[in-house]
Amino acid sequence: MRTPSPPPPAAPPASAWQRYRRELGFLIFFVLILGASFTLISWNPVNDRVIEPFTGAIARAGGATLNLLGQQTKMEGTVIRSSRFAVNIRNGCNGVEAMLIYFAAVLAFPASWKSRLMGVGLGFVAIQLVNLIRVVALFLTGVYLPKLFDSSHTVVWQTLVILSGVLLWVLWADRFAADPSRAPVEPQSS
Amino acid sequence: MAGEPKSSPTTGSWPGRLVRNLLLWLLPAVAVWVLCTPFYNRFLALAGEQLSRALEFPAVTRLYVQETHQVIVTRSDLSGKQGFIYKFRLSDLHFTLVLTVALFLAVPGIPRRRRFENLGWALLISVVFHILVVFFYVKFVYSTQLGAWSNEHYGPVAQNIWGFGKHLLDLPFKLALPFILWAGFYFKDFQQHRRRA
Repeated sequence: MRTPSPPPPAAPPASAWQRYRRELGFLIFFVLILGASFTLISWNPVNDRVIEPFTGAIARAGGATLNLLGQQTKMEGTVIRSSRFAVNIRNGCNGVEAMLIYFAAVLAFPASWKSRLMGVGLGFVAIQLVNLIRVVALFLTGVYLPKLFDSSHTVVWQTLVILSGVLLWVLWADRFAADPSRAPVEPQSS
Repeated sequence: MAGEPKSSPTTGSWPGRLVRNLLLWLLPAVAVWVLCTPFYNRFLALAGEQLSRALEFPAVTRLYVQETHQVIVTRSDLSGKQGFIYKFRLSDLHFTLVLTVALFLAVPGIPRRRRFENLGWALLISVVFHILVVFFYVKFVYSTQLGAWSNEHYGPVAQNIWGFGKHLLDLPFKLALPFILWAGFYFKDFQQHRRRA
């Protein structure tokens, strides 16, 4: 007579780390990359040789765009000046913060390196485009609605630039980020 | 193809629905933030003052809200007009709450009750974060902004720690906090949606 085989032992409950491994992995990498990248750009040699010239280029692009719109601006270093208003493009107005947040999210997300590189390239262009719109819009706000300049500068446009970075990441992760852990299914032979 | 479900207007692409919902929630979120800011600034100044005083001896720090958005840092042991030493914009520390509220309420395919529960937790974490930023701001002021007094009371290492801590909290982590919280609460849902798509 055969004795009934004992039921298979129940699987041990998954630990919090096992249950939330992907989220925690993503967030830990994201925070580490973000902290490291901001530390790097705060370092004086990097700031002086990379960030300051980049900010100058942003200011020149903003000035050129405003001239196309008939504002008759002049450049003085990173200052865009017209007869009615002047704005100094400083660190914080160059879109670098939003780019670094976006880059950290792209690099921390589980995806192939090809997808990540594409995400970084596309993100750079898109965020800088949004930032150029911000610079131009802020200058025009200063000219025509000067009372709204302060709140527009910090609250409205910082929110919109960060939001554009978040939405860009969602779009990239949804459409373009190929997950390397998902191998393609081999066709079954009949 | 026969038998394949057709997508209804409410089942558009997930990112598309997120953007649409964000646009719908953004203005109400701004309105609530503007209405709550005077009270929240007073609360933050009080909480930041209590935290600063709890970690110093003797307890000399006082924070006063001025013109709704500014906070004045004073020390009762320093001379000058009522011990005034520094002023900064408190509202700039927490305007990203607008983004947090809009992002948490805009996630498609999540029951309303769960979205509001998650938002509650996210706001609680944000409040703790903002109090910490105020505290770091006060320490940054003491350690780096008061000239000879700062050099006398804080060494180079302490000045770097408080200055860099304030820089990291006030810039990258403040700006990234809504996304960090959103990813923390909705990363799994987003991944599940990607697998289904």
